[in-house]
Amino acid sequence: MKIPLTFVLNNQETTLMIDPGQTLLEVLRGQGGMTSVHRSCEEGECGACTVLLDDEPVNACLVLAASVQGASVMTSEGLVKDGTPHPLMKAFTDELGIQCGFCTPGMLMNAYALIRKAGDTELTDAVIRKTLEGNLCRCTGYVNIVKSVKTAQKLKMAGEWW
Amino acid sequence: MSDTNGNRTTMTTRPGGSFIGSRAMPELVYHAPKTLPELMDLIKIHGPAARIVAGCTDVIPSIRTGRWRFDPGLHLVDITKINALNQIETHEDMLKIGAGVTLTRILTSPDVKGFCPVLARAVEQMASLQVRNTATMGGNLCMASPAADTAPPLLVSDATVILQDARGETTVPVADFFTGPGRSVMTPGQMMTHICIPKIKDQDSAAFLKIGTRTAVIISVVSAAVRIGMAGGVCESARIALGSVAPTPVRVTAAEQFLSGKPLDDQVVDACAGMAASAVSPITDLRASAGYRKDVAKTLVKRCLMACRKDLT
Ligand SMILES: Cc1cc2nc3c(=O)[nH]c(=O)nc-3n(C[C@H](O)[C@H](O)[C@H](O)COP(=O)(O)OP(=O)(O)OC[C@H]3O[C@@H](n4cnc5c(N)ncnc54)[C@H](O)[C@@H]3O)c2cc1C
Ligand code: FES
Ligand code: FES
Repeated sequence: MKIPLTFVLNNQETTLMIDPGQTLLEVLRGQGGMTSVHRSCEEGECGACTVLLDDEPVNACLVLAASVQGASVMTSEGLVKDGTPHPLMKAFTDELGIQCGFCTPGMLMNAYALIRKAGDTELTDAVIRKTLEGNLCRCTGYVNIVKSVKTAQKLKMAGEWW
Repeated sequence: MSDTNGNRTTMTTRPGGSFIGSRAMPELVYHAPKTLPELMDLIKIHGPAARIVAGCTDVIPSIRTGRWRFDPGLHLVDITKINALNQIETHEDMLKIGAGVTLTRILTSPDVKGFCPVLARAVEQMASLQVRNTATMGGNLCMASPAADTAPPLLVSDATVILQDARGETTVPVADFFTGPGRSVMTPGQMMTHICIPKIKDQDSAAFLKIGTRTAVIISVVSAAVRIGMAGGVCESARIALGSVAPTPVRVTAAEQFLSGKPLDDQVVDACAGMAASAVSPITDLRASAGYRKDVAKTLVKRCLMACRKDLT
């Protein structure tokens, strides 16, 4: 039996009809149309499905969609404003923190939460690597991803952020 | 993946049209009670068809990989929306953590750092940020995995768990909680409501270390926790616990008793670590051989003892 799920998806109140057994990953990609939320391991190992649930990064594949009733969910679609990529996205392309792009939406969401929480504290390599340890990338070797996050934080400090 | 006729075998279609490469979740009804009485009612109504869940970080992979199967008509009862199970409280010298509290909250709680810093150190090395943001310590203990990383720190801290069912509450020491791989003293219809941890004494120091097949987001090949209390240059109290080296997380009491009244010099540390390793009977599996596990158990106990010694002097 399908049930209605009402939650805030990328700042918009949304109601979707879901199966109680569906994961948030399935609902976001399926009924929600948010195909940036990538599906890979479906076991919490890779981080490709990372989204923000009430501002905190979670693996959408390990969350039951029914449990986010009334909560707020953000995917990387929500970073784009009026068709303009977010400065965080620009940092990833400028610093080559993206190659095939499969891990990127998950990386972006985790990095977005990290940069927001860090405030004025400059992020170190160690903190960035520890925070992103649940996001696998098979292409970049991570060096450029760490650089991208640092560059993004500089953009935020320079006021280029939303 | 395909069978001999070239048909796809591992991909299945599910209701809702999405394509998945692993097993579908069973047909289920989801409940999110807001209070404990509501939850107890649900368990009473649905009986064996009810399954209590918290973060689901073990439940979903267990279903996906086919390790667990459920009949259609499963009732999942999510405890994470119950306020009473979502608190970290301190009562004089006791820390009381609700079963629904996430690992991230345990890691960032000043009360946990003050009362049981060794637990925070273990949680920091568990899973990933995304998993810690939803996973709970109650779930970690109820899974009763020999590799549960919160078990060794709780064992050395003399922690207890509070279990509840329709008949009332019982308190069980963590040391008596596990009965085998995936098994505990919990009976059907019973749930864990809280984990209680006595405050670490000023003259005590505790350490936790784990080794996996990589450095992050990994299940322990061996984990170790040690708590030592010193008085007058000799060891007054000792707790040593190991994970992933026996059917359950275990305390190695012979090695603990050996330390009593002795100074923590290199010889004593070495002998104690050796005793701890010879007291356990690890298995060989995907992750490591029994022999390797024994070697690592010895090394980790030794390093934990040395860390406590350094901290106390
Ligand atoms: C990528 C990944 C990495 C991981 N890394 C680690 C690691 O490093 N170390 C480690 O120890 N674990 C690890 N785990 C395992 C898991 O995340 C933990 O065991 C977690 O703490 C489980 O908590 P949960 O709230 O998600 O439990 P759930 O999945 O919700 O439940 C687990 C089990 O406990 C039962 N249960 C839960 N709460 C209660 C309750 N209050 N009363 C009665 N029964 C209950 C459920 O019925 C189920 O059987 C990892 C998991 C993943 C996916
Ligand atoms: S698909 Fe969710 S963590 Fe891999
Ligand atoms: S860019 Fe290809 S996996 Fe990260």
